[in-house]
Amino acid sequence: MPSKKTLHIESSGQICIYCGACVGICPLNCIYLDETRITFDEKICTRCEICVRACPVGAIAIG
Amino acid sequence: MQNLKTDVLVIGAGPAGSMTAKWAAKMGAKTLMIEKRQEIGSPVRCGEGMSKAWLADVGIKPSSRWINLEVEGARIYSPSEKVLEINEKHAGNEVGYVVERDSFDKQLAIDAANEGVEVLLKTAAINLLRDDGRFVGVTAKHFGQTFEIRAPVLIGADGFESQVGRWAGLPTNLQLRDMDSCIQYRMTNVDSDVRYCDFYLGKVAPGGYVWIFPKAEGLANVGIGVQVSKLHNPADVKMYLDKWIAEHPGYAKGKKIDMVGGGVSISAPMKQTVANGIMLVGDAARMIDPLTGGGIANGCIAGKIAGEVAAQAVTANDASKEFLQAYEKGWRAKLEDKLYRNWLAKEKLVTLPDVTFDKIIDALQGVKLEKLSVLNILKAVHDKYPEVTKEFEAFL
Repeated sequence: MPSKKTLHIESSGQICIYCGACVGICPLNCIYLDETRITFDEKICTRCEICVRACPVGAIAIG
Repeated sequence: MQNLKTDVLVIGAGPAGSMTAKWAAKMGAKTLMIEKRQEIGSPVRCGEGMSKAWLADVGIKPSSRWINLEVEGARIYSPSEKVLEINEKHAGNEVGYVVERDSFDKQLAIDAANEGVEVLLKTAAINLLRDDGRFVGVTAKHFGQTFEIRAPVLIGADGFESQVGRWAGLPTNLQLRDMDSCIQYRMTNVDSDVRYCDFYLGKVAPGGYVWIFPKAEGLANVGIGVQVSKLHNPADVKMYLDKWIAEHPGYAKGKKIDMVGGGVSISAPMKQTVANGIMLVGDAARMIDPLTGGGIANGCIAGKIAGEVAAQAVTANDASKEFLQAYEKGWRAKLEDKLYRNWLAKEKLVTLPDVTFDKIIDALQGVKLEKLSVLNILKAVHDKYPEVTKEFEAFL
């Protein structure tokens, strides 16, 4: 079985502005926003890449 | 932290949450509002333009503590930058104040607290408690401690990225076309005009617009929203805004002193916003106007109704989905027609090429619009460019 692609959310603040756009659009509700931290649930995420498009600053990559 | 009990639990202390909490308390319900952040209203994620006709209806007193300035009107720029100037009293609800959003949110929370609402900061709901097919509370986290808050009536006022709605199984999901991704700079040393909120339409912001909301002389919020389905590469939203600024010398010379981002829903009204023991309000209930992107007024108007119904549900000892229909019906009676009409208009607008935007704005030059409405605009356009309005016949 091919391994799943990796989703990388840059959430150290170098790119991420903690705006929550990815959280609101995630169809599986697997991205979370604390005050200054974005995390996602690797097990639920299907790598649909919707959050990659929704991020206004390009902090999410997949590959 | 001990487990807590209250009558009404409001999750989220934005404008819709504070308004709901205030009215629930005013009507006699023991009300607790929780906010995951340590500071209400901050960080701001908003263009800060606000209409004003609705404020008195929900009991908000305009105050210089949160109003930066009052604009006279709006200017809408077509892609070739023909300008349509709309006087505030014609624009009805769409322009009015430019505000300091963090101060506004804090004031609404203060108003709620003064009505007797308890407020808990740095307190996140992490899931819903269920009992016998009803939602009866949340598991919450406060300074790293986990505890339960039980309440017969729960209010999801947790904003665009609402978790509560999803946990409750309400249809909050958005498609790519149902959302604009936004970014905004606060810029100083720019040529904004304190008399106007400016909007730039067309391919400068596909499926959205560029906005300039003046905060003071030479200081403005310069932002953009782009429909997610029209985005192709990472960071396109920022690219579009940076490009617009670079092409406008009055802004290219400016200096950025702040940056915010966020998502805005531009969907049709949600089909259902209540479940047993729970109501959704504001951005969490997708109440943002899909044409303008404004969410504060609708959130507050719905919040007042939600607060009143919440208190009635407590008194009646009945927070069933059936009882909470009073809220569902109440907010729809006030907001749904306009939300739906503006959604239809937006669905059409996002398909238009720049040349059509130019024709529409051109047709409106010199036309005195009694009232700014989709219908009035179409009638005016029809007189000059009947071929443009053909596609809009459903509205006429």
